[in-house]
Amino acid sequence: MNRKRLQAVVAKEWLDMRKNKMVLIMMALLPLLMVGMIVGTVYFMERLPDAEFDPETGDSGMGLPPELEALGYKDGVIILLNDQYMFYLLLIPLALPVYVAAYSIIGEKETRSLEPLLATPISTTELLLGKIIAASAPAVILTWLSFVLTAFGLYIISNPTVFAYWMRPVWSLSMAFQTPFLAVLSTACGVIASSRLNDPRAAQQVTAIFIVPLIGLSLIVLMGKVYLDLRIMGWATLLIAATTAGVVWLAVKLFQRETILTRWK
Amino acid sequence: MIRTEHLTKRFGKLLAVDDLNLEVERGEVFGFLGPNGAGKTTTMRMLAALIAPTSGAAWINGKRIGQDDESVRASVGLLTENPGLYPRLNAGENLSFFAKLHGVQDITGQVRKYLALLGLWERRTEAVGGFSKGMQQKLAIARALLHEPPVLFLDEPTSALDPEASRVVRDFIATLKSEGRTIFICTHNLDEADRLCDRVAVIKQRLIRVDAPETLRQGLYGQSVRVQLREKAPAYLARVRELPFVTEVFETAEGFRVALNEPENHNPELIQALVAAGAAIQFVERESHSLEQVYFDLLRESETEA
Repeated sequence: MNRKRLQAVVAKEWLDMRKNKMVLIMMALLPLLMVGMIVGTVYFMERLPDAEFDPETGDSGMGLPPELEALGYKDGVIILLNDQYMFYLLLIPLALPVYVAAYSIIGEKETRSLEPLLATPISTTELLLGKIIAASAPAVILTWLSFVLTAFGLYIISNPTVFAYWMRPVWSLSMAFQTPFLAVLSTACGVIASSRLNDPRAAQQVTAIFIVPLIGLSLIVLMGKVYLDLRIMGWATLLIAATTAGVVWLAVKLFQRETILTRWK
Repeated sequence: MIRTEHLTKRFGKLLAVDDLNLEVERGEVFGFLGPNGAGKTTTMRMLAALIAPTSGAAWINGKRIGQDDESVRASVGLLTENPGLYPRLNAGENLSFFAKLHGVQDITGQVRKYLALLGLWERRTEAVGGFSKGMQQKLAIARALLHEPPVLFLDEPTSALDPEASRVVRDFIATLKSEGRTIFICTHNLDEADRLCDRVAVIKQRLIRVDAPETLRQGLYGQSVRVQLREKAPAYLARVRELPFVTEVFETAEGFRVALNEPENHNPELIQALVAAGAAIQFVERESHSLEQVYFDLLRESETEA
């Protein structure tokens, strides 16, 4: 592995990204909308009367897990919803990089720059790792930034009990460790799809496979069936890490220079 | 500098290159000619270590393809048929990226050198997406040269260029030759191959013939002169046929086409004989065959043999 070549690929991808205003706008839009939605929703919920959250008198109809029953319905429901929203923040590293990855790999096809690129001494691992890092890093940073902005917003608008629950280590650790793996997983999927398919749209669709289980888990949490703790999130992180490692390995194996050069027309 | 032994490439059932044996010397400009689908680009990709041969072997600058591909790629500069540049990056950024991948030590110096040599220095900060085809091609040539490779592979270097840009590129190739680089050109432009190449190979999956363009011409047609007369007469034809150094005579609309081995030595005797027979000679000129004619005749010959 040649570090300088790897750095060159990352730097070139970022330079290209900076010059593509549309990609930058698309990348910034989703996290901004997420933060706005979370903070806005909590702001309005904090202002609703407590009775609205009581399953017998109000509209929420939500049960609380035993861990939250002592807090009362209003705070409990807001905490559950906040947990739900954190899953949405975890969708950012899945959704953003695949757009950039599909663009960066299939973009080579569109500009016909892959052949001269592969004619240099760069190895497949250096090229793909460079592309994966370049596509994943902005998504990771934007997700972390969104988390910090959300934390700041919730600190201002929510009551201290809700904020303290929301700030429990489950989410900060998940954001810290799961976000990079999810971003790399998503990018590697984009690389696989763009290595095997000719259509960038297909590459973008592939990550939907990983979005489904994440949304499924979030719904279970929302129904109050599971209360997220470090043990659950630890196992989830290990599962995501193992899947990511497997998918990255597969991406390098499936990136056949010869097939891509001779099949991409 | 470039050597292939029984080089063969199959894509499934399709035989793209069949048993190719070639040797290209250091400092030689070598033309690779053939119809579409003849295996030219596939051969070039194998020699640039981009795709692996199905069988056979090849060496570039002493390094065997398939065993030391990273070194092979470091010794080779490749100009692909399409320039393949990054349109949002400017000329300097495009070149700097490739210079880094090749591990060039003085990146700024090399980028400046080739941008200046190819007349692009003043436009170095412009996005290459706005460049004309000629400028993009020149930039792609600069990219192929940044790491000073001893071997250059040029795939259709002047295709889609206007005559002026083509001339600039051709002149530049001549300059590269004078620097002692080995240049391997795939082209459909036979006039260009004739002007630039020391030797050409005609292929159609298999190698049909390889030699200097002039040697190919002589091999196919021998040497001949065209004689134009004010008036034709059977006696003139008979007189020419009697000459011992004449191998063949063909009648043409204006006179004869005379095949002979040493036109420089025998033309004076031919002219004297015709004048003595009473012929009024208007012109005597060496007959030239274009490389295009050679190319088509070689392809036809190979089809007949097949």
